[in-house]
Amino acid sequence: MSFVIRKPPLSRRTVLRGAIGGAAVALALPPLEAMFGEAHAGDPTGDPIFGLFYWANGVPWHAGHGADQGANSPGGDVWTPPTVGADFTPSPLLAPLAAHKVSVATGLEPKTEVPQPDNGQSDGHMRGFMVAMTGDRIRPEGFDHPSHTLTCLRPTLDQYVATHAQFYGNSPSRFRSLCLGVSEARFHDYGHWNAISFTGPDSPVAAVHSPAQLYSMLFDVPADLMALTRRVTLIDAVLADAEGLRGRLGGTDKQRLEAHLDHLREVQRRLDLSSGTCDIIPAAPGDSADLIARTDIMAGLLAAALNCGLTRVFSFMLSSPATTHVFNNLGVPNGMHQVCHDGQWEYVRSITEYQMLAFARLLDHLAAAVDPMGVSVLDRACVYGVSEYGEGYKHSTAEMPVVLAGGCGGALVRGYHYREQGGNLCKVHVTILRALGIDTPSYGFNGGETTEHLTGILA
Amino acid sequence: MVRLPRLGIAGALILLGSACQDDNPAADSDQAASNTADTGDSDGPTGTGAPTGTDGESDSDGDPGDPFAPAEPVLPRLTVSQYRNAIEHLLGPGLPGTPLEPDTNPYLFYNIGATSTFISELGVQQYEEAADHLSRAVFDDPARREALVGCVPAAPGDACVQGFLGAFGRRAYRRPFTADELTRWTDVANQLSQGDAWRGLQFAVAGILQSPHFLYRVELGEPDPGDPTRLRLTGWEMATRVSFLLWNGPPDDLLLDAAGNGDLYTDAGLLAEAERLLDDPRARVALQEFFAQYLDLARLDHVTRDPTRWPMFSPTMTRSMRTEVQLLVDDLIHRSDSDIRQLFSTRRTFVNAELAKLYDVAAEGASPITFVPVEMPADGPRAGILTLGAFLTMNAHETITSPTNRGKYLRERVLCQIIPPPPGDVDTDLGDDETMDAQTVREKLEQHQKDPTCAGCHSIIDPPGFLFEHFDSIGAYRTLDNGYPIDASGNLDNIPLDGARDLAEALKTDPRVGRCIVNQLYRHATGRLAEPSEQPALEALEQRFIAADHRFKQLLLDLVVSEAFRTVAEETDA
Repeated sequence: MSFVIRKPPLSRRTVLRGAIGGAAVALALPPLEAMFGEAHAGDPTGDPIFGLFYWANGVPWHAGHGADQGANSPGGDVWTPPTVGADFTPSPLLAPLAAHKVSVATGLEPKTEVPQPDNGQSDGHMRGFMVAMTGDRIRPEGFDHPSHTLTCLRPTLDQYVATHAQFYGNSPSRFRSLCLGVSEARFHDYGHWNAISFTGPDSPVAAVHSPAQLYSMLFDVPADLMALTRRVTLIDAVLADAEGLRGRLGGTDKQRLEAHLDHLREVQRRLDLSSGTCDIIPAAPGDSADLIARTDIMAGLLAAALNCGLTRVFSFMLSSPATTHVFNNLGVPNGMHQVCHDGQWEYVRSITEYQMLAFARLLDHLAAAVDPMGVSVLDRACVYGVSEYGEGYKHSTAEMPVVLAGGCGGALVRGYHYREQGGNLCKVHVTILRALGIDTPSYGFNGGETTEHLTGILA
Repeated sequence: MVRLPRLGIAGALILLGSACQDDNPAADSDQAASNTADTGDSDGPTGTGAPTGTDGESDSDGDPGDPFAPAEPVLPRLTVSQYRNAIEHLLGPGLPGTPLEPDTNPYLFYNIGATSTFISELGVQQYEEAADHLSRAVFDDPARREALVGCVPAAPGDACVQGFLGAFGRRAYRRPFTADELTRWTDVANQLSQGDAWRGLQFAVAGILQSPHFLYRVELGEPDPGDPTRLRLTGWEMATRVSFLLWNGPPDDLLLDAAGNGDLYTDAGLLAEAERLLDDPRARVALQEFFAQYLDLARLDHVTRDPTRWPMFSPTMTRSMRTEVQLLVDDLIHRSDSDIRQLFSTRRTFVNAELAKLYDVAAEGASPITFVPVEMPADGPRAGILTLGAFLTMNAHETITSPTNRGKYLRERVLCQIIPPPPGDVDTDLGDDETMDAQTVREKLEQHQKDPTCAGCHSIIDPPGFLFEHFDSIGAYRTLDNGYPIDASGNLDNIPLDGARDLAEALKTDPRVGRCIVNQLYRHATGRLAEPSEQPALEALEQRFIAADHRFKQLLLDLVVSEAFRTVAEETDA
């Protein structure tokens, strides 16, 4: 598939709005082509893309996790590459990604302080997940065990990037970000456990799991443009209607309403640009219960959307934190969370390998989506592959797995293994943000602060 | 910083913190439960310690001597089912379903998610699209739109348009429009009509359905003439509260009329309306939603079992198990209107053919889709929902049981206690130690007792969990585990028990069970955790519950007229 890159910069509202107030209007709509014009003057291939690929339950444990687990890790360390530096030799579990020359960082761990009493905060599922995603610890308040109300203190990296002034500037894509999911299994029935992206505390962004829903969001162009314009105008009335209420609220209630209204303005902006989709629209997708097959479908749609500029930020949750997904297809009888904790090393190895194969399918699609200049989405992208802890056997956050795929327009070195045992995990965040052109003197919070990036990986 | 529903323990919710973890500073567990597990006396009204990690409430807030003071208001967003109920109420049945953001349920309840979780951008987009689709579906259908509007608008802004918007607005906002609001939506109906008054109304309806006044329940109160220190909810706000509690949806016209007449400021007026609502079929559905959340039944939806290992576990089994609990709840509330705590001890249940087979009971007339009431044998192993398929299955693993999960459910759901999460960097593998000769799940778990890191909590969780060991991962009775005889002895707070029937007997007289129901209902009804200052009202409610022989409908009526349900504090930073 190939896609012509173009930007949808022109609001139809400026063209049509004057017509709304009047009586009978017979205004010919300008041809869409004229409204979109040429691809914007700058070099679109210079715009970087940021993506997150998330898989659950870390990697099989090994001696690097800091405990003597020799008898329980019959295959030894199948994650950490045996050589460091450029053109490293891939480990067995990283072999599926080798074709895309991914870089990896090993040995890193969260440095955030664990409050006492820790109230669940030292739990790898939560601590590792949140530090990897936000550079900060989980919100200490409100966590209690029956509900496991897991939430963050600040946006996850994808949402931080998507709303950063230095990333989109004044011309955000039609979608600032897309949050996609594959497995629908979750550790709890609680919404917070089935999302990896957050815009802030208590603000999970639910992943889209359905290929049909994703396709509709991205590629279904409403035919009645006049009605679209009226929907845009209607939102002005809704916003005005909310004003009186806003003034009566305090604290969190006010913040919740304001977030709602901010989202509504974003929806309004998107409706205004709603005819902006790709020139070449992919075929309507099927679906599959198999995780790799569904990844294939979702990643194909995502790559098309990235290639034609519908968004430049995504999160891709293959499986959710502490997933209970039962990998029947691999002969694993119990949910993954359980087999990790039961110390069933071989099961964890085969599941992790399977999850890496899914990661590779995503990267295949990003590499295959190429613009007319021959630049692929993966060339422009920085894809952060991440899980919640080093391994599940002891909930250990030592030796967090970190994959950085893509060239980020030349800002990232590909095929490099950075190793620093006990190093600060937030160096990953600094690396990514700097690669994306976002000024980042330091990153990390509550003890996780660092000014350093991963030397050797940041070009 | 987000204001959480604060964990005022409010008497019934007990942290077992200090019993589980040695390193908790005293401030975090104070008097709450240091001896809870040892004595079973875990529920004294002075147990007001904040759980670890919450904004510590000062103890004096919750001293029993302090008078009741209301909590600040919250702003619930309609849950998915409440939204759908409201749409059906406003626009009629049979409209296409539209995707909406899934609810969250912190502390078990969707209503708490509705007051604490922020909506995402996609969620707002889905509201916009739903409003567009639904209004279009209604107004593209001439019969439907005339039925809705009740008159034929001749021109944008005419009397028909104005009259409809006023009536529709009262139902949508659950109070009359202000003059400004009526003007706003009339203007929209004019401006977006493009000369077609029907089209204009369609857009006005689409706008109203996106308004926060529709999507959120605004219950901020008004000055209370009887008490200047607090606010009372307006009649309109009370109508909303009562209907969302009893119907899980918006008030009907009669209830709004009662609000408009001032009837809902009096106990008699409130009770009359609440009784009317309780007699409506909508109340049955709403109460089932509460019980499904309180008993955490949604987890059943995620249960999988390998059919080759568990041939009895059909694809319909989890649905059958859930239906069984619903029928039992319905029976105790509506048919017999009796002590709701029998849920945990009654030998009565309802089975279809596959459940009868699972339980090995005779059930004449049962079929795959027909449930019949049965009385479990007096000398059998089962009594109460903790011996039924739903609980036993969703708290077990695919291949082995989980006394830990079952014990934890008992502690957390039935007794409203808090078990702290396991500490970090703990070895969770109990099974692969070569030197261990454990053969049964029970023997493996007994490793917990040997490790002091684990023993604190697991000595509270596992012993009652062992009582269910006669039931396997799908709730079938068994006498062997891994080929070895079952030992289902255990204890609850050091009272020795043998098997789940013993536990059912113990729960019959355990005061924590009823108190927990009161607290869970209060959380569901208010969409938040109780503040310590509300404790006197909760205690009064519990006393009334006891006096009413623990009949659940009476508890609902007592709650509706309770001052805690009718008053709020002023928002501090509005």
